Amino acid sequence: MNILHDNLTRLASRHQDLAAAVKYAVGGTLTIEPSRSGVPSARRSGRWIHSAYDPLREAQTWADTHAASCRPGEMVVVAGVGLLYHVEALRRKLAPDVSLAVLIPNLDEFHDALAARSLEAWSESILWLPGAPAEIAETLTKIGRPIRCLSYTPATLADAEFHRAVEDALRQGIARQTGGQLTIALVGPIYGGSLPITGYVKRALETLGHKVQWIDHSVHAASYEAMGSLKDQRNRQMMQGRMAEVMSQWTLASLAESPPDLVLSMAQAPMTLQVLEHLRKKKFLTAMWFVENYRHLTYWQQLAPGYEFWFVFQQGACLDAFRQAGARQVNYLPMAADPDLHCPMSLSEEDRRRFGSDVSFVGAGYANRRRLFPSLLHQPWSFKLWGNEWDGAEELRSVLQLDGARIDTATCMKVFNATAINLNVHSTTGAGLDPQADFVNPRTFELAACGAFQLVDHRSQLRQFFTEQQMVSFQDFGEVPGLVQQWLNEPAARQAMANAARAHVLSEHTYVHRMRDLLGHIGLSQPDRVGSVLRGERQQEALVKRCADDRPLESLLKDCPSGQRIELKDVAARIRSKGPTATLKREELMVLMLDEYRSETRDLL
Amino acid sequence: MPHEESPEHRDLVIQMARLGDLVQTLPAIEALQEASPERRLDVLCAAPLTGVLAAVRDIGRVIPWDGAQWRTWATRWQENPAATLQVMRHYLASLGDTTYEQVYPLNQHARSHLMTQLFLRHSSHEQEQDRIEARMRPWAQHLRQVARERGANRVHLADAWCGMCGVRPRGQAPFCVPPAVELPEDLAGIGEHHGRWVALVTGAGESDRCVTPAVWSQWICEFLAQTQDGQVVLIGSGTEREAAQAILDSLPTLLHGRIWDGTGRTNISQLMRVLHKCHWVIGADTGPLHLGTLVGTRALGWYFSRARLHETGPYGEGHWVYQHATQAQPQRWPILESIALMCGDQGRSGTDWTLWRSRMDRWGAYFDDGSGNATVESSRAEIWRACAPALCETMAA
Repeated sequence: MNILHDNLTRLASRHQDLAAAVKYAVGGTLTIEPSRSGVPSARRSGRWIHSAYDPLREAQTWADTHAASCRPGEMVVVAGVGLLYHVEALRRKLAPDVSLAVLIPNLDEFHDALAARSLEAWSESILWLPGAPAEIAETLTKIGRPIRCLSYTPATLADAEFHRAVEDALRQGIARQTGGQLTIALVGPIYGGSLPITGYVKRALETLGHKVQWIDHSVHAASYEAMGSLKDQRNRQMMQGRMAEVMSQWTLASLAESPPDLVLSMAQAPMTLQVLEHLRKKKFLTAMWFVENYRHLTYWQQLAPGYEFWFVFQQGACLDAFRQAGARQVNYLPMAADPDLHCPMSLSEEDRRRFGSDVSFVGAGYANRRRLFPSLLHQPWSFKLWGNEWDGAEELRSVLQLDGARIDTATCMKVFNATAINLNVHSTTGAGLDPQADFVNPRTFELAACGAFQLVDHRSQLRQFFTEQQMVSFQDFGEVPGLVQQWLNEPAARQAMANAARAHVLSEHTYVHRMRDLLGHIGLSQPDRVGSVLRGERQQEALVKRCADDRPLESLLKDCPSGQRIELKDVAARIRSKGPTATLKREELMVLMLDEYRSETRDLL
Repeated sequence: MPHEESPEHRDLVIQMARLGDLVQTLPAIEALQEASPERRLDVLCAAPLTGVLAAVRDIGRVIPWDGAQWRTWATRWQENPAATLQVMRHYLASLGDTTYEQVYPLNQHARSHLMTQLFLRHSSHEQEQDRIEARMRPWAQHLRQVARERGANRVHLADAWCGMCGVRPRGQAPFCVPPAVELPEDLAGIGEHHGRWVALVTGAGESDRCVTPAVWSQWICEFLAQTQDGQVVLIGSGTEREAAQAILDSLPTLLHGRIWDGTGRTNISQLMRVLHKCHWVIGADTGPLHLGTLVGTRALGWYFSRARLHETGPYGEGHWVYQHATQAQPQRWPILESIALMCGDQGRSGTDWTLWRSRMDRWGAYFDDGSGNATVESSRAEIWRACAPALCETMAA
């Protein structure tokens, strides 16, 4: 009781409200047991939170591992309370100019900790953070220091939801920061569904003010396809494999031209594990947005350890599978729409006649669609089928448009806009609807962004994105004819629903939103790299402000254009522009020397 | 307080390249010292290699250049330019008074040029820059041409560096006694008993110059079979431990007692000592091969890929090189030929390989395949006259 009283008195000196709240908490969340080394250890729900042998030593190891990454001026936020051994060890290990905050999801647990161990002077500089995740994030954001999140995993498991919510709120805070310009190399695929998405991503990143270098492998598509005509499967695979390797090397060569802050690959980007490991050695930050069903395309299993960050559009089992395959950080990032392209259109009468119908479907002839769509024939309403890979679907020949040619995005938009009811059936290799319906395809967002009405096969995630007032779904394909008939008879309701879905996409589900989120994740994880750029700390004004006492440096930076991000190479370029015969100051020579070492990253190949 | 000489009497040689190049800079350093014995000569080199120069007499000061540290600062600059610049200032200040009247930069890259400007005394800046430029330009052009055209050049790189420093070669190879450092206990027996001790350099700086472990295994097998008293010491850095292990794994365990694995076990000074205790050092064109020549060990080089003995062969009298006929990776290796040579038989060329012996004359080092050297000498003299006419005049006088 004395320990608790003393601890509360100490806590009250800086956190009076928290001390009062803890005083009235009941505790009992932790089971305190002596460890072999004599100091108390603890279990929660039967699981050890600290070592049963030597909690102090365990905490020291944890602190040693994590302290190395913490930088001066940062606010380090620790998730996981337990008996606070790890917090104490970290505080003692960190320099005084690194601040430390601890998230408190559960006052009862904190009460147990304060009753079990005496908090000493180290605890007085800790910022204790109870409360709702959004409030915590706001408090931290207001402090204005770069945030680095650390997790003492054994103590976080019971409050995983809370910690995820805090991290989301912090990420959103970072995503809102648009102070600086990142340079991002965007590595696209040779062909396929992720190719247009690469274009949307590029536009979104540019909208956010970042500089994007698209390493476009689609220019090699014809050669790659030509190799596909080889009849011998081994030869074909070998040739295409070698070409993919060359393109991977080409990516390296392109990156060497101007090393970016981030290499963002889209699904199917031809990057080998070897190249990714090489980039990692050279300190490049890499990320992949895997906009594919992880069950259908499985090459991610080989690449999982290669990327620093993975973003996937499936949750649950998908995230676990990536982690098990060696992915360091996997995050959920759903699909979206690009309102510049996916938008309502005024169509001519001729276009309405040509591209319009009561019901239409745009997409490739996957097995399930071939089996399901014949039931849409011979109905009182018209049905048009657009897209390629429908060879052999003789039953559907009468409704197949443009003789089954692949249709471009512009045509696709006309079809969406001219159709009364757009059918959206997720692909699968089985006979019916996708039995593992755990993601929402881009088409869902694109149709919505067009203000086009759609009937979509139900997905487990669908209601995270659209309410029943915004989108109609069906669980069984047998429902479709009835739904079509119903909604054809209600044009006003159809339009209202489509408008609501469009408004919702514009406010929450564009590629700009997604890229903000993606950069927020990376920025939160890399506060000293991407995070620092996003906070605007590399802008000329911010740099000048931070070196006010260093006149030679200030003068070098003031020579650079204001309102722009200034990197070492920019300062060096300014100095070099004085010409080869100029007599340079000592600081100028030092900067040039530094830039020579920096440019070693060019030696990628 | 020790008296610090003023910059007027101090010169600096800058050599930032790897081990082999640093060793082959010693002829230029010695020639400079001989030409101006009254001046103090300092040398700036990569920090991990300072041990090489510690053993060389009469060098004023060896300045270690910590490239790894500069790389770290280059990364940190973005986080905090002011703090990074401050640390760099401290680093340069920690090197002491580093202003020189004359600087001899031997590397043809921007860093070397920047170092020259950093270390050159401010008052003599422009004048000395012009002098350096005039002295170096013809040699730099010559070396570039050699690298590009790979013609019939016969001027050794070490001697070209003498020319770059404005001095002529001394006509004798540098030699130094390795420092008396202790070896790891299990390597202390190297060279301590009678036998034919051969240091074998397992790796090479670049992969295309590497002899594979399989070839070395074959060489060791043959050598140990032919010499009852033969002992082989595997030499290399930590990165070559795997190659050494592969060599050992492929050899009969009965032979293991005559093989000493020193890869990754020695620092530079210890490596010099190990080499000194061996009679021969064999390997591709690598740093340890050249280091062996410095401590008086006879070198036998296998030069292939881009390595050319006339430019970077082992410097001095009495070393041997097998030069491969083409730049392609060799299909056959002069295994039996090189063992015969070490065992005192007549040296003979192998299929696709020509045998050369190193010699010295007033133009420095050259290699002789036994076909006469009159034209060789005239071609070297011609290059010297073209690149350093003033120096040649003084030589004639």
